[in-house]
Amino acid sequence: MTERDRLAAATRAAGLRLTAADLEALRPAWKRYLALVEELRATLAPETLSE
Amino acid sequence: MKAPLASLTAAPLAEVAQALRRRAVSPVELVDAYQERIERTANLRAFITPPGQRARREAQRAKQQLARRGAGALLGVPIAIKDLFATRGVRTTAGSRILRDWVPSADAALVTRLRAAGAVLFGKTNLHEFAYGVTTANPWWGVARNPRDVRRSPGGSSGGSAIAVVAGLCAAALGSDTGGSIRIPASLCGCVGLKPTYGTLPLDGAVPLGWSLDHAGPLTRTVEDAGILFDALSGGRAWRQAQRVATRGLRVGLLHDSIVRPLQPGVSNQLEKAAAALRRHGLRVRDVRLPEMGWTVVTQLVTLRAEASAAHAQWIRARPRAYGRDVRIRLQLGALVAGADYVLAQRMRAKITQAVRGVFDDVDILLLPTTPITAPMVGERTVRWRTGAEPVDGALVRLTAPFNLTGVPALSIPYGEVSGLPVGLQVVGRWNDEARVLAVGRLIEALASR
Repeated sequence: MTERDRLAAATRAAGLRLTAADLEALRPAWKRYLALVEELRATLAPETLSE
Repeated sequence: MKAPLASLTAAPLAEVAQALRRRAVSPVELVDAYQERIERTANLRAFITPPGQRARREAQRAKQQLARRGAGALLGVPIAIKDLFATRGVRTTAGSRILRDWVPSADAALVTRLRAAGAVLFGKTNLHEFAYGVTTANPWWGVARNPRDVRRSPGGSSGGSAIAVVAGLCAAALGSDTGGSIRIPASLCGCVGLKPTYGTLPLDGAVPLGWSLDHAGPLTRTVEDAGILFDALSGGRAWRQAQRVATRGLRVGLLHDSIVRPLQPGVSNQLEKAAAALRRHGLRVRDVRLPEMGWTVVTQLVTLRAEASAAHAQWIRARPRAYGRDVRIRLQLGALVAGADYVLAQRMRAKITQAVRGVFDDVDILLLPTTPITAPMVGERTVRWRTGAEPVDGALVRLTAPFNLTGVPALSIPYGEVSGLPVGLQVVGRWNDEARVLAVGRLIEALASR
């Protein structure tokens, strides 16, 4: 699955109606967002759940 | 004796209110004088709905009340309202096409309070569409222009309110601030802007953007005006208390972290000058560190995107083309924020808040620039630093958004100029300590004029 396909799937799951051009407009900011959140996740200790 | 109208349109709210009480000027004369200026400065795009005849009728009523020695701290004072606050019988667009025909049947809570204080509601000011941006380059109601240099942006999202104050189109204005939207235009246009403690001013009847980040507050010509208007809006006594605060001996912290770098050299110089002047006046200025602030950008981004997208959940899915391009993209991206990401951001937000609480064990006030740059050109998208490029939007919120996340009070005050453009400094205090913030702000304002 390409990055573009993942974004398209995510927007469909979110109920957004996007054209191909809309998807392209979102892609750079979406990539930056994912990278920033990954940094945030890496810096915060995971919340562990024990059974 | 009659007060000269030309000088009153540029006068602080305190002076205008006094002239009205002395009956040196009538509210109708004042409204006409501002109105005439509004017509001459239409190119600034300060208003979406200019005051018009309705304001004149309100001024007539205020004139009668003044003749009867009526009460009200703001009796007859024309206050402009950001077009995000509902006004009974007056179109409220939130700067959008979607709400272009909305005429509310009730006032927002803060508008009710302004009316109760006797203010003349003086038009609805331009803003970034739905307050979701910091340039007030509004695709539906016009690109707002900085009154100090019309080639430049006034900032936003309360750009119209700042323009109206600086250009002498009203006595003061009401704005809102989700990531810096009062303080940024105040800094870029050269007026005072106060974002009070989160939750102090009610937001009922204000079109929401980010429920945990939204604040309302005044934009004014002086710190005293901000105090007077804040007290009228809150029903409190912060300004009266501020006048009793002894500033000598107060501990002032200067942030020395990556978040305050880079700064435009002229902005940095003004900060150093202000710090030196405060030292000479007996305040104890020291460096402080808040490394957690480095996480502000992503924390604010995730929080605001999710909250704004929730507020616009129906429209962004049903009518995406009814939004301007920049706001549409932000809202669509917000719809992709996962619940787990929002939780991560709130965990980091708690850490930032804890760190800020810790710093206020060591200092009474934080002093930093409001914006790292002076007003950018309209349409400018990138700031070029020696160390690399930064989006203009990101640079403008870099030093203001931390205090939306933490909810502490923050005041922007003009302090000097760089190449003819104003520089804004930001005074930040503990939760609910608006009195001390205003007191230090007033001192800085006095030092700036020396």
